[in-house]
Amino acid sequence: MDRRLTTFFGFLLLVAAGVVVVLPMASGSAMAAEDLSNDVCLACHGDASVSTPLGNGKTLSLYVDHKALAGSVHAGLACTDCHSDITTVPHATKTFATKRAVSLAYYQVCKQCHFAEYSRLLDGMHFEALAKGNSSAPTCVDCHGAHSITAPAHPRSRISRTCSHCHGAIAAEYVKSVHGKALVEQGNNDVPVCTDCHHAHNNSNPLSAAWHLQIPQLCARCHANKQLMAKYGISTAVLTTYVSDFHGMTASLERGENSHPRQFTATCTDCHGVHDIRQVDTAGRQQIKAHLATVCRQCHPGASANFPSAWVGHYEPSLRHAPLVYAVKIFYVIFIPFVVGGLALQILLHLWRAVVNR
Amino acid sequence: MNRYVIRFSGWQRIEHALVILLFTVLAVTGLSQEFFRMSWAAWLIGALGGIERVRWVHRSAGIAFTVLVGLHMVIILWQLTSGRARPSMVPTRKDFRDAITMMRYYLRLSDQKARFDRFDYRQKFEYWGMVIGSLALIVTGLMLYFPVLTTRFLPGEVIPAALMAHGKEGLLAFLIIITWHLYNAHLSPEAFPFDTSIFTGKVSRERMEKEHPIEYSRMPEDREQEGDESVSDGAARPD
Repeated sequence: MDRRLTTFFGFLLLVAAGVVVVLPMASGSAMAAEDLSNDVCLACHGDASVSTPLGNGKTLSLYVDHKALAGSVHAGLACTDCHSDITTVPHATKTFATKRAVSLAYYQVCKQCHFAEYSRLLDGMHFEALAKGNSSAPTCVDCHGAHSITAPAHPRSRISRTCSHCHGAIAAEYVKSVHGKALVEQGNNDVPVCTDCHHAHNNSNPLSAAWHLQIPQLCARCHANKQLMAKYGISTAVLTTYVSDFHGMTASLERGENSHPRQFTATCTDCHGVHDIRQVDTAGRQQIKAHLATVCRQCHPGASANFPSAWVGHYEPSLRHAPLVYAVKIFYVIFIPFVVGGLALQILLHLWRAVVNR
Repeated sequence: MNRYVIRFSGWQRIEHALVILLFTVLAVTGLSQEFFRMSWAAWLIGALGGIERVRWVHRSAGIAFTVLVGLHMVIILWQLTSGRARPSMVPTRKDFRDAITMMRYYLRLSDQKARFDRFDYRQKFEYWGMVIGSLALIVTGLMLYFPVLTTRFLPGEVIPAALMAHGKEGLLAFLIIITWHLYNAHLSPEAFPFDTSIFTGKVSRERMEKEHPIEYSRMPEDREQEGDESVSDGAARPD
């Protein structure tokens, strides 16, 4: 048969099908979109038994708990605000292979209102995984829920619980850390939860060099905040003392350079741990010291037991802490002005006698 | 009679040129590290190709400088032990007397100036300051270059102490050069605008008579300018 003729008959068939489907809807009991109040939807979807078969043989519950919906942040929205493809009731059925396919088909709906979050998501690790074909990578509804969406950070500890659904091992480490304990056991809202360091939507690769080099700035957001640290008696000199040191200098300079450093330089987490950060009390200090030599040897093979004490801790040199460094500093603080001042005086005397006072 | 005498040998002039080159490289790459938190230093480090490269250049120049200092010492020791040079740089009691004489002159307590030999007390001060400063910078620099080796024998705290000393000693060296040396070689009324002797090796007889009369009095007046090498290096005459 002629190809154009095939196309024509195909089109004719499509129109006929349309007439068959749409006509009965237009007449009789069918309702138009503007009349689709939530009550109309819940008339069917409020029934706990309503479900549809999935392509994988399982069934998908189509039940919507109207109480959860009413308690959600979206209580004021109409079902059709999100399910905008439903314009009439009854509506056509849809077939999905898996429950996951439903989520993946619907998450784009959120960007209608939450475009900023959506565009940040596109810069994140989770979307990168999704785009590479990992269908388990989380989309909006995996963290926020669907019909029962409530404020994600109320209480704040909810954030780390949300992440723990996938990152269970890390979450378990975190709750034992000084930050996690304060959050979970004391309800302390000063401590960081997952998203404070990793961001919620545009979470970048925490194993990259760029990430590693900006860790000091990440920690400094709280640990250089005098007001906040005063509450816990923690020194804010932790950042300045680190940056003054060799590794801190490297991290500060390479961070700004957009370069690809040849090797990592030690930052906060290399000594203090990542998710398992302990309090630096007596026990914490011993723990850090014990594992410091191992950390050092990663870049300084053959480092002796003396080597880690080349890092004098987060103290400004003083008679108590690093007295040798302090002595050298004091020596030059006196010696440099003495020598340079003496030479300047000699120059002035020389000039004075040679030019003015001949 | 020739108008000039030869004051510095070819090797001494090369040594000085190498010190200028290496000192400049070390000062630029070193001070930018010492002051890296200031915007000009961070900019300079970026302009030079990043901190890794700046460190590499600094260490390379440091090794070259160490070799030069070593060579300088070996040659001096050889010249002294073989009787080819007088220990003209060694501070003597006369230097202290000269310093007091000059102070009295500067303060107009007297019109009598000190009469100097081959090197005056200020030149000796600068030379020995540079030798001691260089040794301090070399030792601390090597400790920072090889921290693992250093802490095999010494406590860890010597590393940050060496870092502190290296930075401050380097700053001191830089400050001395831009005040003292710049004044004596360029800005002082005697040298202005440029004391060329360390580059040409030559000094006029008038200047020698004025600034180094004791050494000049030992020089035979009829010596040719391009005389034999033992005379061309003023220090190289057994006396």
